Amino acid sequence: MPVDQELFDAVRQADRDRVAEAVRAAIDRGAPVSSLLMNSMVPAMREIGDRFAAGEVYIPEMLMAARAMQAGLDIIEPLLGTSDHEPIGRVAVGTVKGDMHDIGKNLVVMMLKGSGYEVTDLGVDCPVEKYEEAAAGGATVLCCSALLTSTMTYMEQVVGRFQKDPAIKVIVGGAPVTQRFAEEIGADGFAEHASEAARVVSACLAGE
Amino acid sequence: MSSEGDNGMERLYAERLARYTTAMRNERPDRVPIRPFVAEFTARHAGFTCQEVTHDYDKAFVAARRCAADFDWDAVVSNMVYVWTGLTQAIGMRYYGVPGIDVPPDVGFQYLEPGEGEAFMKADEYDELIANPTAFLYNVWLPRVSSEIVPPGAASSYRSNLALVKGAMAMMQYFGAFGTQNAQLRAESGTVSAIAGIFKAPLDILADKLRGYVGLSMDMCEQPDKVLEACEALMPHLYHVAKTTADPLQQVPIGYWMHRGCVPFVSPAQFDSHYWPTVRPIIEELWRHGHQTLFYAEGDWKHHLESFRELPDRSIVYHVDQADVFDVHERLGDKFCLSGGIPNFLLSHRPAGDVREFCKKVLDVVAADGGYIMDASAIMQNDTRAENLRAMTECTREHGVYSGSPSSPPPAPIVAEGSLPAHGGSTTAPGQCIEWATRAATLPTIEGDADLVEEVWNSIDSLGNVFIWQWLLSF
Ligand code: B12
Repeated sequence: MPVDQELFDAVRQADRDRVAEAVRAAIDRGAPVSSLLMNSMVPAMREIGDRFAAGEVYIPEMLMAARAMQAGLDIIEPLLGTSDHEPIGRVAVGTVKGDMHDIGKNLVVMMLKGSGYEVTDLGVDCPVEKYEEAAAGGATVLCCSALLTSTMTYMEQVVGRFQKDPAIKVIVGGAPVTQRFAEEIGADGFAEHASEAARVVSACLAGE
Repeated sequence: MSSEGDNGMERLYAERLARYTTAMRNERPDRVPIRPFVAEFTARHAGFTCQEVTHDYDKAFVAARRCAADFDWDAVVSNMVYVWTGLTQAIGMRYYGVPGIDVPPDVGFQYLEPGEGEAFMKADEYDELIANPTAFLYNVWLPRVSSEIVPPGAASSYRSNLALVKGAMAMMQYFGAFGTQNAQLRAESGTVSAIAGIFKAPLDILADKLRGYVGLSMDMCEQPDKVLEACEALMPHLYHVAKTTADPLQQVPIGYWMHRGCVPFVSPAQFDSHYWPTVRPIIEELWRHGHQTLFYAEGDWKHHLESFRELPDRSIVYHVDQADVFDVHERLGDKFCLSGGIPNFLLSHRPAGDVREFCKKVLDVVAADGGYIMDASAIMQNDTRAENLRAMTECTREHGVYSGSPSSPPPAPIVAEGSLPAHGGSTTAPGQCIEWATRAATLPTIEGDADLVEEVWNSIDSLGNVFIWQWLLSF
């Protein structure tokens, strides 16, 4: 199915009510829900993510767009379960133990959802066990966020826990985290911006 | 009857004060002043847990003094672990994670921002805030942030009354103790207390303590005019707090803690329409009264340096956090003194050699012509390595010495009244809760000295104002 232009525009313009309406209208017309997600909502979110990375839109716009997208997902998600839709990957995202900052983590959740991944939000202050539970629940990529120099080192423990498990990848990010730090602790991936998170996850899943 | 040693300390203090203030006026002192904003690091250095320094401010003070003396720094904040749980527990303040109670004993206290649904102010309460910010804080905000205090109209309670009395007395006790602490810093190690007073931007106040960042972001899209009106209503009050808590001698700057007013937290348009117009007049007015402001620019404000250039030369000290300190120097160094820019990641997780190398570069480039103060990018918690702080300190002693005689700071600006609106959109004067006129109307005709009665009323009434605005800004 091609792009549902109305849905695409409504997400892009962060119009919550229009998104819900467009989704309902499309479903009434018999459109497959999986296609509404992958062909209309995902591209709209990707565009917003790219514009964020390019410095053309800002966090408030991202939050509004995510909220609009969520209005659509609230209708679609229950139906996805009953369709033959397979998410392109299962990801869990959490801020590490001792750290309560979640604005960046929430943007990562948003961008991954907006890319069509099934995302579990683990919240803040996550010990290794939280990530273990997520992996046991089917997540194959674990994303760790940290904003404090005192908590970023905890990521090493998460990475260490899954080092011997080739099926589980650990990706790290957050303001003080750098590519070099990510390599030193042996993380499978790093991105500076939430908008690049999807690319890194997809590279991980492709085994790159 | 001061001894030789006391005189020595006084001389050292004077020397350091001159070094620090000269640099802050963007001039060249004898050498680069060192002014590290050490928070929980002080506890670690003095052998205390985070719980101990947060629960017992005497220990926090001891720890700050120990650091100042051991590292021989020019200036420190007299207590950067500023939350005292005696005070927060007195009123059952909900928004802190307290070491030893809510978080492990060796983790620093933490401010916890409520989620969107639990914000301390609701989206439809702007008019009430605007009409009378002080009354709104007492009547609506305080009962929500406190587990003890009940709102007007609810049945009064033993615990609520106690919380108010204990909270007020604890605050007086705590503030009083700072005077002694500063005097001790001066007498024991000749150290300057680095800042005095507090300021935060109206938009940050709305996000941090009232609407939450997500709630405010939504309001900025859905009711931007109300948000602007609220910022304007807060302005005179925030100015008043800054002005009345500033250094009366106009030597050290007012701390301005900058949280989420920059891109990408706001759009450039929102910065221009809401953030900056409700900050700039306050900074200018403070400078007209001879007060510098320390812009503690958390994160990276690279998109806004041009706006900051609109401020008068030397009116601020600009602290660099995650921005590129070399770039900021190029863009602001001719107008303002800079501080910081040494990444905390280096100080916490890299060998001392790396710290030295980076500090040397900063000293060679950023400090070359004066107007630089050595400090880390962000406040230093207990993950900071002592040997790295030593490396930062020694490197500055070694490479931060200027040749020639120090340049002298220009005289303080001429005091003149500015154009800051006195009341914003609200009805109550900043600094008061119940104005004298309202009180006077309830009294019989005063036969004695009416001015005396008014004076005493105003001065005691202003304590009620201090209490609530200090909660909002400092704790
Ligand atoms: C907002 C904020 C808070 C809020 C948090 C609210 C919330 N719900 O998140 C509050 C007020 C609660 C807070 C509390 C504290 N904070 Co704070 N906070 C900040 C602030 C101002 C912004 C952080 C932020 O949200 N950035 C915006 C987001 C979008 O950026 P980001 O998280 O980096 O995310 C981006 C990328 O990194 C990436 N990303 C993020 N995570 C991930 C993960 C993956 C896998 C990937 C791929 C990408 C990715 O995507 C995002 C978008 O592109 C910073 C200063 C600053 N301006 O940076 C200080 C700052 C981080 N805080 C600091 C401190 C010290 C604290 C406190 C200890 C203070 C205190 N004593 O109360 C507490 C600690 C609480 C705790 N235990 O966590 C310091 C840290 C210093 C240090 N040594 O590390 C900073 C730097 C301020 C400073 N200069 O002193 N803080």
